[in-house]
Amino acid sequence: MGDSKSDVLQGTLDLMVLKTLEAMGPLHGYGIARRIEQVSGDTLTLNQGTIYPALLRLEQRGWVKAEWGMSESNRRAKYYSLTRPGRKQIESETENWERIAATMARFLAPSN
Amino acid sequence: MNRHTSGKWRSLLGRTLALFRKRELDEDLDEELRSHLAHAVEENVRQGMTRNEARRQAMVRFGGVAQTREAYRTQRGLPVLDTLGFDLRYAFRQLRKSPGFTGTVVLTLTLGIGAVTAVFSVVQGVLLHPYPFRDPSRVVVLRETVRELEKLSPLLPVNYLHYANLRKNAHTIEDAAIFQNDGFSVAVDSEVANASDESAHPRETEGLNVSPTFFSVLGVTPILGRTFTDEETQPGKDNEAILTWPAWQRYFHGDPSVLNRTLRIDGVPTAIVGVLPPSFRFPVVSMLPNESTFGSTDRYEIFRPFVVNSGVLDETDGDYDYLAIARLHPGVTMAQAQSELDGLDKAYAVTNKLGSHVGVAVEPFAEEITGSYRKPLWMLFAAVFAVLLMACVNLANLQIARGVARSHETMLRSALGADKMRLLRGLLLENLLLGVAGGLGGVLCALAAETTLLTAAASLPRVNEVHLSAPMLAIAVLVSVITSIAFGIFPALRSLRVAPQSALQMNSGRVANTRDAANARRVLVAVEVACSVTLLIVTALITRSFAHLLTQERHFNADHLMMAKAELSTPRYLNSQHDYHDHANNATNDARNAVMDRALERLRSLPGAQAVALTGTLPLSGDSMIDAVERPDYNFPPGQTPLVNRRYVSPGYFKAMGIPLLEGREFAASDERDPHVVILSEKAAKTAFPDASALGRTILRNGQKFTVVGIAADARINDLKRDPAICFVPYWANPPYTPVFLVRSAEPEKALGPAMRNVIWNIDPDVSIPTVMSLDMQVSESVATDRFQALLLSGFGAAALFLAVLGIYGVLAYSVSMRTQEFGIRIALGSNRSGLVRLVLRDASYPLIGGILIGLLASAAATRWIRSLLYETSAVDPWAVAMSLALLLIAALVASLIPLRKVTKVDPMQALRSE
Repeated sequence: MGDSKSDVLQGTLDLMVLKTLEAMGPLHGYGIARRIEQVSGDTLTLNQGTIYPALLRLEQRGWVKAEWGMSESNRRAKYYSLTRPGRKQIESETENWERIAATMARFLAPSN
Repeated sequence: MNRHTSGKWRSLLGRTLALFRKRELDEDLDEELRSHLAHAVEENVRQGMTRNEARRQAMVRFGGVAQTREAYRTQRGLPVLDTLGFDLRYAFRQLRKSPGFTGTVVLTLTLGIGAVTAVFSVVQGVLLHPYPFRDPSRVVVLRETVRELEKLSPLLPVNYLHYANLRKNAHTIEDAAIFQNDGFSVAVDSEVANASDESAHPRETEGLNVSPTFFSVLGVTPILGRTFTDEETQPGKDNEAILTWPAWQRYFHGDPSVLNRTLRIDGVPTAIVGVLPPSFRFPVVSMLPNESTFGSTDRYEIFRPFVVNSGVLDETDGDYDYLAIARLHPGVTMAQAQSELDGLDKAYAVTNKLGSHVGVAVEPFAEEITGSYRKPLWMLFAAVFAVLLMACVNLANLQIARGVARSHETMLRSALGADKMRLLRGLLLENLLLGVAGGLGGVLCALAAETTLLTAAASLPRVNEVHLSAPMLAIAVLVSVITSIAFGIFPALRSLRVAPQSALQMNSGRVANTRDAANARRVLVAVEVACSVTLLIVTALITRSFAHLLTQERHFNADHLMMAKAELSTPRYLNSQHDYHDHANNATNDARNAVMDRALERLRSLPGAQAVALTGTLPLSGDSMIDAVERPDYNFPPGQTPLVNRRYVSPGYFKAMGIPLLEGREFAASDERDPHVVILSEKAAKTAFPDASALGRTILRNGQKFTVVGIAADARINDLKRDPAICFVPYWANPPYTPVFLVRSAEPEKALGPAMRNVIWNIDPDVSIPTVMSLDMQVSESVATDRFQALLLSGFGAAALFLAVLGIYGVLAYSVSMRTQEFGIRIALGSNRSGLVRLVLRDASYPLIGGILIGLLASAAATRWIRSLLYETSAVDPWAVAMSLALLLIAALVASLIPLRKVTKVDPMQALRSE
């Protein structure tokens, strides 16, 4: 793996998943993983498998819900969709993330 | 913030629920992952890859199915619980790996906890459980002291007039009540008693005649109806009864309109005026304090008014026949009440110029009821506690050995980086498992023992209040867990303290012999030996005392003697209701005589009847009907008048009972015309006529002259523990109300009992027959408390001995097996085997001798404490001590045989190679 790619930062995956579901509507695990890879271009190394514990975590907190359904290629797949608390969570998580990013930017800016 | 917490709670809930549907969720995940890979492969194929390449790429991108599954499961479950579950399983496996250890520990805990719980439940029910009265600590029993009757008993029941004076004038008590034991023949009014069926005959029930204030003194209010009124204490106005809850259920099936109904009591329809709450129970208060009240059932069912008749009011001095209770004012001490009431009684004696010196004694109700049972019960509890202590010592011993044996493994684990807390938690869990298993076993054991224990303890007061409650059982399990952890974790902690490298360098065998482990175990064995020496000596004393009680000369023969007690309490037999003072009513006397004569005659014709007789008092029911004996030719100095138990008997009584006549003759049919004859027991004869034989002399009873026609051996017919002074009188002189028919016959009891009952019921079906039993049975019941003590103690003694054997064996066997190598070297260097045996024996003898010495000291204290429980047995009985020590030494020898055999079998070559 090249040095130019970065690992998924702890805690950011959840927000990526939520945002993906917000943008795309109900989606199965593979779809979510592919979408994250596409949006990030080639800058992220994502082990697709890590998406599943993350999905379970979000489901346990009641931010997403899961249902078995049929995919476009006519396969059984588990579809995840946002719940109402999940939508609200995106707002606060986004705010939170922007604050961190801004703070980091201040640290990283040339100080003199 | 709320959303966040609610998210957390939901998460916890989801995780907890997930614990219960693992397989289902696993399958769900697997399907989801399969679907993921299938989608990926499909897309890759669409992009032009070969099938195999597409599959490989999909797997690479996915990044490890197994890891994903593991991460997913961690997220799904509760990690703490999962590791806990793992540790628990590990602990369980560890225990299963050493079934000998686990079995011994669980069994020891089971027996120890079970025995303690069972005995404690009796202590709790009889001694500690509060009485169902309002503020029971303020309820007291009043008794009188009469200097002139001190020989009879230092404390007596009260005289009615004295009581009335106290109740009227005392300021330290809120109120007082007087009552009297009574038995009632009860039948439901609708029943017609004419069938030969047993239920058609009236049922004999115990009850009390109580004054109107009785229930208010106790602070108990009827749930239906009322208590008695003052008017109802007048003769002829007392046709009322108050029922307990069980009696209400039994006779009226809980009918709420019971207050309009009647019950046939002693043949008379009696109005029910009240029903008591279900929790109400009143224990037996014995006439004389500390008198054993065996056979009493604590089941008073019916309360009747205490009738203040002329007989009661006439007696200013004497007639100490009634029991009294009082409620103290709040804040008043026993001593204050005692001093006021005593002063009032003494003043009364002076004002009324009484011939005797009276006083009052106040005693707390609880102590009065269980006074004589306190010490035996606490002694049993102490004994069972000693057994539990020994069990714990054995546990600690086993745990030390196990900890030492495992220290190698523990060290290895901690050297390899195992978390110390995790190791500790493992140990904790192991002991928790052992404790819970032992505790549950103990609960089962206690439940099983309870029935047996209660049957054996049936003679204790309040025994029907003994039960194993759920909280008590929960505490038992808790104690077991605490015991197991306390005695398990500390020895185990030692092995955690040892520095890893030293443990790794040594082999496990050498660690076992580190000096402090060996010393700790010696101390433990010494404690155990001391406990068992004490317990064995106490057991030996109590058992010897009991054996003595059973085997001593009683001067009566209890074999093959059947007794049937009849209650002649219907109006045709009673002079006036509950008036036993008036002896002059000839019609009712004749009625009683007629029934008895006919019954005796018909009983004689029963098949196999060798001797038939009657007595007015059930044998072995204690002292009663106590009279002063006077002589026309001699005036006894005040307070020296001999007191005797009066017993009405028929001709043939001495033959039937097997009581030897020393001088003179039995009563004969010819005495009926002039029943002014008596037979004295040897003791009574010697007290009344110390100078010469009493035969042919004259005594005075109530001013009438009686000639002594015979002298009988001192038979212990009142109480196996005492030779009573008895004056036998022919029953015609005052026909008894409760004749006890005696039939000596070789016929089996099962046939004889019903036959006797039928004979009586054929004469009068309205007579109730409360007791049909053999004299043998009665003897056995009269010593039930002593037997209970002796049996239980023997059980504990045996357990103690067994535990001591186990303890000694454990220590010796372990030290021998650990020193095998050392012995091998010694033999190789020329030491002979008997030298080795001596070495081991010397090692074992220190804790043994030390323990015996401590045990002897402890038992010196213990036996002094139990001295009052011993019957004609010295507390420093050399026999008991010698027997106990011999038993213990034999046990110690047995315990050391197998380890010693091992010593003599040590093969030096093998021992050295086994390193």
